[in-house]
Amino acid sequence: MTLDEILSARPSPGQPRKYEFPRFERTVLKSGLQVITVDVPNRPLVSANLLIRRGAADEPADLAGATILTARAMSEGTRRYPGVELIEAGERLGATLHVDASWDAFTVAVEVAASRLGAALELLAELVENPTFPERDVARLREERLNDLLQVKADPRRRVDQAFTATIYTPDSPYSRSAGGDEESVPRLTSEVLRATHRTVLDPLRAAIVVGGDLAGLNVPRLVEEKLGSFGGESAAHRVAPAVPLAASAVDRPIVRFYHRPGSVQTELRIGHVGLSRSAPDFHAVQVMAAILGGLFNSRLQMNLREEKGYTYGIGAGFDMRRGAGPFSVRTAVQTAATVPSITESLLELRRIRETAVTAAELAAARDYLVGVFPLRFETPGAVAGALGGLFIHELPDDELTRYRAEVEAVTIEAVQQAARDHIHMDRLAIVAVGDADAVSAELKAAAFGELKVITDELPVSE
Amino acid sequence: MTAQSVRFSDERLANGLRLIVSEDHLAPVAAVCIWYNVGSKHEVEGKTGFAHLFEHVMFQGSGHVAKAEHMALVQAAGGTMNGTTWLDRTNYFETVPSHQLELALWLEADRMATLLDALNQENLDNQRSVVKNEKRSSYDNRPYGDWFHKLQEHVFPTEHPYHHPTIGSMEDLDAASLEDVATFFRTYYAPNNAVLAVVGDVDPAQVRKWVERYFGDIPANRAIPALGDMSLPAVLGAEAREVVEDRVPLPRHFFAFRAPVLGDPRFDALEVAAQILAGGKGSRLYRRLVRDEKIAQDVSFFSLGLIGGASIAAGQATVRPGIDPAVVEHAFEEELERLGREPVTDDELVRARALIETFELEALQRTDERADRLAMYATLLDDPEMINRQLGRYLAVTAADIQAVAAQVLRPDNRVVLTYMPTTEAAAGTTDEETAA
Repeated sequence: MTLDEILSARPSPGQPRKYEFPRFERTVLKSGLQVITVDVPNRPLVSANLLIRRGAADEPADLAGATILTARAMSEGTRRYPGVELIEAGERLGATLHVDASWDAFTVAVEVAASRLGAALELLAELVENPTFPERDVARLREERLNDLLQVKADPRRRVDQAFTATIYTPDSPYSRSAGGDEESVPRLTSEVLRATHRTVLDPLRAAIVVGGDLAGLNVPRLVEEKLGSFGGESAAHRVAPAVPLAASAVDRPIVRFYHRPGSVQTELRIGHVGLSRSAPDFHAVQVMAAILGGLFNSRLQMNLREEKGYTYGIGAGFDMRRGAGPFSVRTAVQTAATVPSITESLLELRRIRETAVTAAELAAARDYLVGVFPLRFETPGAVAGALGGLFIHELPDDELTRYRAEVEAVTIEAVQQAARDHIHMDRLAIVAVGDADAVSAELKAAAFGELKVITDELPVSE
Repeated sequence: MTAQSVRFSDERLANGLRLIVSEDHLAPVAAVCIWYNVGSKHEVEGKTGFAHLFEHVMFQGSGHVAKAEHMALVQAAGGTMNGTTWLDRTNYFETVPSHQLELALWLEADRMATLLDALNQENLDNQRSVVKNEKRSSYDNRPYGDWFHKLQEHVFPTEHPYHHPTIGSMEDLDAASLEDVATFFRTYYAPNNAVLAVVGDVDPAQVRKWVERYFGDIPANRAIPALGDMSLPAVLGAEAREVVEDRVPLPRHFFAFRAPVLGDPRFDALEVAAQILAGGKGSRLYRRLVRDEKIAQDVSFFSLGLIGGASIAAGQATVRPGIDPAVVEHAFEEELERLGREPVTDDELVRARALIETFELEALQRTDERADRLAMYATLLDDPEMINRQLGRYLAVTAADIQAVAAQVLRPDNRVVLTYMPTTEAAAGTTDEETAA
């Protein structure tokens, strides 16, 4: 056979190896803290993630940023380990303790050799339970956040993201804000405020620790009871009712908000509206629809704007699903001259996926990708533990991940179209751009995408 | 904590293709990674950015694969893929469920054998436009965006192949022709200029059969031009300084030094030094500049390993509002110079070693990372066994090694200082001047 003959025959796949998402176990400690363990044999490292269902969406507007700043400040010293001593103690174990907060949850994560898990959990407990929030360091972290806000304004990508959420949500919706806080709220975030936030966060009834890795010979629940048994303690009294994140749309008609930055060689674009929460009943159909529209490398948006027109290095679309309705957005950066055609083509693709059924081949491509890539996503204990943490944060059923592939396989062409019709709203799309408005002004007006406002956004200057 | 060693086979097909296979059945995953020994260092004047533009063309179809079908087939198989270009090399990789391995091998073979059958002006023009937008979004439209390109210019002399950026210039990208693509392909995309690593849930005997079948008849190019001598003096000889006015809110210093090549034990010592200098909140630069003196918003220090004459060690510090940039520069440089004057403490070394061990173990858990490293060490150092020796080399670095490499590398006459300053024309504050149109 010639090489050409050999290469003319496309190989067919072999027999797939059976795969199931690793089984996990749950123990509830006396305090209410859940311990979720998942054995992933033959891996040298163990991942331990403490998750508390309390995030930036739960904080009052005047203290925006308090949860994230609390997370940052917790590694600035504890009762037993002042200053960076706790960080150093972790480093001696080869462990970095990551404390962070998102809209939905507060997390403390560590990855460490199985033999050192007990020692790492002891540090994790000290960090979680006894931070001291020294005012000097809290003041520094406040200033760092304010300085970072200057950088946001100067970076077109971060600026457009901030402008987009501030545009689509009503001002009283937490999601309209920057999760890290703004110029008005951050100066209010004193040590006292962080201590109070910390007490509110420490609620064992809203908390779980997920431990994944080679757990042979380890009694993880007992270890957690020993190190984190008193977690929460007196703080239970400070518990507050969970605030339901308000995710109201501020937009009721198509609008364009163009942040003018003279001389920009590209326009950063976000097109979308208030989207969906993770509890959406048609979650799997939405995933397939979003993959076809703007998730796959060969998505409709990519094939049109990148592979055909060459307007952009990349374009994507999707739903940021949080406990409340996070944003749906098309996201891209395009060369300045292609700004208006790029908006036109993006709108065309949004309309098309609503109005005409996807082909059987498109459905198969998206479905086979999501089903097939599933085992690849969970190769490491860290990834497995992360997915289980997601189940806890979103209060999803235990079999959510084991059902995932069957649910995706069951999605039909009709379900995809229904998801597009139900969740993409042409009548309240916000088009938010950061770029050179002068260069595209006439074309933009003529296109009449919606009510147009041009905002002159000057660069911040530090004193 | 012990790292399980990565066992692999290492052989060559008759046409020169180097094949490395490593079997591991923990996850039902197979990774294919192919490294071509060609990077932006092979580009000549007037043709910068070409190696990377070519990488994009590799996804535009080949003899038996349509434009963009490569991605479609890999994704429909439940896999992920991409390609990257750097100064020393270009790589392409697919990670797939293990029963789809043959597809990934066939795709790589088809483009190595028949890329030019599918090449046309329309696809080249399209990807030229995509790459120009990549340059705009990754560098031109980003605050401080061209810092690395400027450091390259100072660390490597004009005639050196590392002097110019991998992304290239707009003019050169515009000038790239179909003829250039064809010549580049015929010259460098030959089996004897590539290393193919296959790792994961695979049967090595079956892998060999497939690789022989799909790649075995692709002809070698016995006339790949050798690169010229890339050797350089160990140090720059004099400090280089540049100030850039940019649309940035805070001044930022970037530092760079000419450093030993990848594979030199001194480069390992430099990586451990970087951990002690700026690896997290317990590090020297973070503690002094960010935490204690509160003069910097952030700091970093790292090394980028290269094989042609010298590597780059680089760092950065963003100046806090109201602080004299000179104060930040001085403190940063003082910490680097101190590293060459006195040994690091035992505790610093213990902490750095423990963290590096965790990072290495974490990285090597992944099938695709093992494939990438095997191909990298084979391509750049002709020594894939380095995958099992690298951690030991880091752990063997002593305080004296760090002091010696710091004294040699992190010195004023080997230093580039690049400072971004806010443009003076920028007005204070944000005006909400809205013009309804």
